[in-house]
Amino acid sequence: MTARRRSTPLALSLLLAGAVWPPSTPAFSNVAVGDVLANPELPMLEGGRQALLSRQAQANVFVFFRPRQEHSLEALKAIAACEREFSGKPVHWVAVVSSSWSPEEVRTVVGEAGIQMPVLVDEGDALYGTLGVRLHPVVGVANERFELVAYEPFRKINYCDRIRGKIRYALREISLADVERIDAPERALFPNEMKGAVANRHVRMGEALLRMKDYDRAAAEARHVLESEPLHGPAHVLLGDALAAQGKCAEARKEYQSARELDPKLGSAAKEKLGACGAR
Amino acid sequence: MVSRNAFLIAIALGAYFEPGAVLARPMAPVQAAARQYRYPTRRKVDNRPLPQGVTAATVHAPYGTGDCSLCHKSSDPKNPGPVNKAGNALCYECHQEFEEIMARKYKHPPALEACTTCHNAHDSRQPGLLHGELASQCMECHKNIRAVAETSKVKHGALTSGKRCANCHNPHGANIEKLLTALPFDQCVGCHSVDDLKDWNGVRLTNFKKLLAENGKLHAPVAAKDCSACHKTHGSDSFRLLVADYPSRFYAPYDLKIYALCYGCHNDKVVSERETTTLTNFRDGSKNLHYVHVNKLELGRTCRACHEVHASKQPHHIREGVPYGQGGWVLKINFTKTPTGGTCAKTCHDRKTYVNKALSTVGKSR
Repeated sequence: MTARRRSTPLALSLLLAGAVWPPSTPAFSNVAVGDVLANPELPMLEGGRQALLSRQAQANVFVFFRPRQEHSLEALKAIAACEREFSGKPVHWVAVVSSSWSPEEVRTVVGEAGIQMPVLVDEGDALYGTLGVRLHPVVGVANERFELVAYEPFRKINYCDRIRGKIRYALREISLADVERIDAPERALFPNEMKGAVANRHVRMGEALLRMKDYDRAAAEARHVLESEPLHGPAHVLLGDALAAQGKCAEARKEYQSARELDPKLGSAAKEKLGACGAR
Repeated sequence: MVSRNAFLIAIALGAYFEPGAVLARPMAPVQAAARQYRYPTRRKVDNRPLPQGVTAATVHAPYGTGDCSLCHKSSDPKNPGPVNKAGNALCYECHQEFEEIMARKYKHPPALEACTTCHNAHDSRQPGLLHGELASQCMECHKNIRAVAETSKVKHGALTSGKRCANCHNPHGANIEKLLTALPFDQCVGCHSVDDLKDWNGVRLTNFKKLLAENGKLHAPVAAKDCSACHKTHGSDSFRLLVADYPSRFYAPYDLKIYALCYGCHNDKVVSERETTTLTNFRDGSKNLHYVHVNKLELGRTCRACHEVHASKQPHHIREGVPYGQGGWVLKINFTKTPTGGTCAKTCHDRKTYVNKALSTVGKSR
């Protein structure tokens, strides 16, 4: 492998373009999120030259990769799916590969991954050095002002979600808060860990028993919930329903009143039921 | 409790009309989300109640109280008939939390298709009304994971302790790929945050909560909560469940292959190029000092000679010292970052300074 020296040094503006990302966000060694990128023109794998970024695009996505590397292939496959998903949107895609790899090797990995974007050749790793890339694969996303808005090294888990989130952020489809939610997804609780799940189950069972006219057991289900969760509105309604069905209107009224205090919506339905109880 | 024999006959009759309630029949049309799923979405299971005399560990409340008509057309335990609603909709009537669970981004196709693929709707010898022991049940379909778990040289205790597969995965739905309940790092630190955790060979394992609290410079995969970038979770042939080879010693002859773990992300040219002004900042002018230290036929210093792999106090993941020799003596590295490069002093060598940028350019790059 030989690294050809770059002919012209790439100018890189390091003007800070405002905080578009939390300052601790990891980034390239020489360029941080929020910095404005230079826009060098690089030779294309299939001939001709093309700029790294485009003013016409709202999101500029550039992907550094290398052949003979499992993560690069895995990442390019994921990115190929993203590329298809964003077709028709103002997203400018390029892949960047070192000039030290043979065109045949590069074509092989590109073909296997199925990416459609042009592949730019980084002569003598000049762009790699200017940005301080260090890792392969890595994705950079810049906006139409060429501010770097995201830096994404490869991840085994949720890689696609993260890339998609950053592109949508550059396209202004989602907010920074949305991106943070995508990057740090909520814990997936098990049914019994979920707040109110077990209590709700008892209430549903009680409602079913009510339909079966088993009022005592329906009331028992409600009381079971209220023992541990006295502020459970639907349990008060269930108990009210069971008591009303048994003609215990005064007690039912108390339960409906408690439900109304907890949630006015629950109370309005109870009013009709109480009327029916009184008429019985 | 209803008579089990009567129930079995009734269920057999019910099955004639409503196959979803009993033994799984041939594959139902799979849902769109399951189309690309490479594992079966249905298994052959027995959804009948346990035979009489067998003690159940868990009993579904309506079955236990004999309220057959909560789920079936008839309240007669001898002949409950078909179920009131087809598929999971019946279960979700009471288990409403599943509206939220199954709205999560990643869903387990068998759970989408039929709760009864994994759960018995009547009773079970297992917790959670499962048909079989949880991990065995998972691995009945996920045979590749079973193979890794059984044949790997290095095992992971998470697979054999606690909730086993459910220590990390939610078999219904999750917001993270692979149905992980949390990002890998949060999963790992859940257990690897005590001083007395030992591996399956009895070797004491790092308390990562403590390590990371004391060392603020995190290696990118750690910062990204992506432990799985370097570690396998079900089993590995490499020490510490590493995904690929990584030298365990201070010295090693340079060979691309033994650094497969590092080069999974880092550029191997950092060590193979004698001269560079772009590939690394650990250079004196264009003299690549990674090449100088590592790329040797015999006593090449390995990555671990100078770098921490999880977290460090110093920039560039430089370690403060490294255990050297068999006695465990810690050789200090004494690295200092300077405006134009860095210095290492009183370490393997006397003070040596490298310069990777001119003072005039300092501040123009990070």
